Amino acid sequence: MVEIAILAFAVLVILLTIGVPLPYCFGAGLIVMTTVGEASMRGMMLWGFSQLTNPVLLAIPLFVFAGTIMSISGIAASLLDFVNIFIGRIRGGLGVVAAISCAIIGAISGSGLTGIAAIGPLLIPEMERKGYPRAYATALVANSSILGLLIPPSVTMIVYGWVTDTSILACFLATLGPGLLIMTNFSIVNLVMSRKFPLILDDPMPMKQLMSEASKRTVSAVPALLMPVIILGGIYGGIMTPTEAAAVAVIYSLPVGFMIYKGLTFKTLLESGKESATAVGAILIMILFSLMLSQIYVMEDIPQMLVDKIFEITDDKVLLLILVNLFLFAIGMVVNDITAIILTAPLLLPLMSALGVSPIQFAAIMGVNTAMGGVTPPYASILYLGARIGKVKFTEVVKPAMLLILFGYIPVVILVSVWPDLSEYFPRAFGY
Amino acid sequence: MEQMFRYILTALISTVAACQFIQVITRYVFETPIMGLEETALIPTIWLYIMGSVNASREDTQIRANVLEIFLKTDHARAILQAISEVISIAISIWLTWWAWLYFSYSIRVWKGTPTLYIPTFIYESALFIGLLMMTAFTIWHLIRNVQYLLGYRTKPDHEIDPDLPTTNEVEEFQILADTQKGNNNG
Repeated sequence: MVEIAILAFAVLVILLTIGVPLPYCFGAGLIVMTTVGEASMRGMMLWGFSQLTNPVLLAIPLFVFAGTIMSISGIAASLLDFVNIFIGRIRGGLGVVAAISCAIIGAISGSGLTGIAAIGPLLIPEMERKGYPRAYATALVANSSILGLLIPPSVTMIVYGWVTDTSILACFLATLGPGLLIMTNFSIVNLVMSRKFPLILDDPMPMKQLMSEASKRTVSAVPALLMPVIILGGIYGGIMTPTEAAAVAVIYSLPVGFMIYKGLTFKTLLESGKESATAVGAILIMILFSLMLSQIYVMEDIPQMLVDKIFEITDDKVLLLILVNLFLFAIGMVVNDITAIILTAPLLLPLMSALGVSPIQFAAIMGVNTAMGGVTPPYASILYLGARIGKVKFTEVVKPAMLLILFGYIPVVILVSVWPDLSEYFPRAFGY
Repeated sequence: MEQMFRYILTALISTVAACQFIQVITRYVFETPIMGLEETALIPTIWLYIMGSVNASREDTQIRANVLEIFLKTDHARAILQAISEVISIAISIWLTWWAWLYFSYSIRVWKGTPTLYIPTFIYESALFIGLLMMTAFTIWHLIRNVQYLLGYRTKPDHEIDPDLPTTNEVEEFQILADTQKGNNNG
């Protein structure tokens, strides 16, 4: 049976390569398993459909919708002003502003693309005016945008928690440590790189003026900064479930968008509603068929058989962790983060458990690897969007982006695998 | 059609958010949760997922990897590859629709009700069959457009690739958000 499961996976990968939509790729896997493998499809639609009624999944569209509304509202400008007043005047400070602002946007939205979409159009031209090369500014904002997938709440972690039956709140916290470390790394790499650029620095501000400006900008940023407080405070304070927190975030974002930042109009609300629902529909139909395929795999005991086969070749933990990381990196290069998690998490988790890696640490390993896929071609959605927003040829963005990945991101990918505390400290502190 | 999906999807996602919000307020503020709200909210929730997916098929923005497409140089070659992918998608979609039809018939036969309000579960269980039927129809429509292009009845393909600015479905979705930011900036 394990051979047929591998055949089904191979068919899935071949169809994926030629551009068949993912839900149908999983459908093809089901066809192979039921026709060649003689697994039963009876009751499978009923079972799969009942999984969709899980309220946890509802957090995905609501977080995406809330993040989109907030970003369209014009919070990016006030957030940038807020962060900029504190660190914008030091050499290379504007690059640090990019990393921190993307992390804050990440705490609002849960998607890797919101940061670059909301901040890029404002910050990239400003960075260029101050002397940063346009391609570098684009690469820095795009790479920092990944933080949206690592700073909670994160849509990918909701999916991981759901498919592996791990606490979603613990998964959110698992990627927090790596996310903060990546933000710090990008800031340091940027400060080093900035030495080479002919930057134009603002004149220092007298302390009195600085204080008055800081308080003005803080007041303007408060409605935006309250959003992560409501979401994360509500969830970890034990007041709301993630789904309820996401719904409250949606309702909160409406008056903020219409009346405070005034960027939200009825037309943009309709557009963001449609875009959020479409994005989520595409994800959930894929999840439905992938779950059905996973269920057949589980019923046939395929994941355990795969673990046994792998252990026949080697049971060296370090070697297997390296191979798993390389595998996830390769998968992340050709599919998006959520697809990578759905494809691989149910198959790899038994192997990780056998190696003594906890599901929470594995959440962080999957999270950082698959998030990196957003900026590694050929499927580099975040970098593609960055190139469009920055109006730079894609080929020009690749080089600075790879430098940032090499020095800012890869060290964290390695650390997450070899140092469990990096991912387990925050979950442990909150009692998970 | 575009306008219709805009209104339907926004109405669905807003209703779902409102239901959850009401539940939070009644449970934590008034300490009296509304009976049956969760099972009622399942109706817009499931239709939101399915209609979102139908719209993704209509816009041809279902999640795909397109690894091979990147290496093809001409629009004609890409259109051939896409036509092959659409033929395969249609075949698989028909197979899945058949199984969804069996589930649909089972729902009618059993006619279950929700535990508290006895709302027929068929109202949301029917979404899968109807959704897959519509997804199959939209995929056939895209195939017809592609074949028309390959036969020379249309001058432009549905998807053109700019090697300097490659794209994915997600990029196109978030481009709208970025364009709004530019508008805010200029204004």
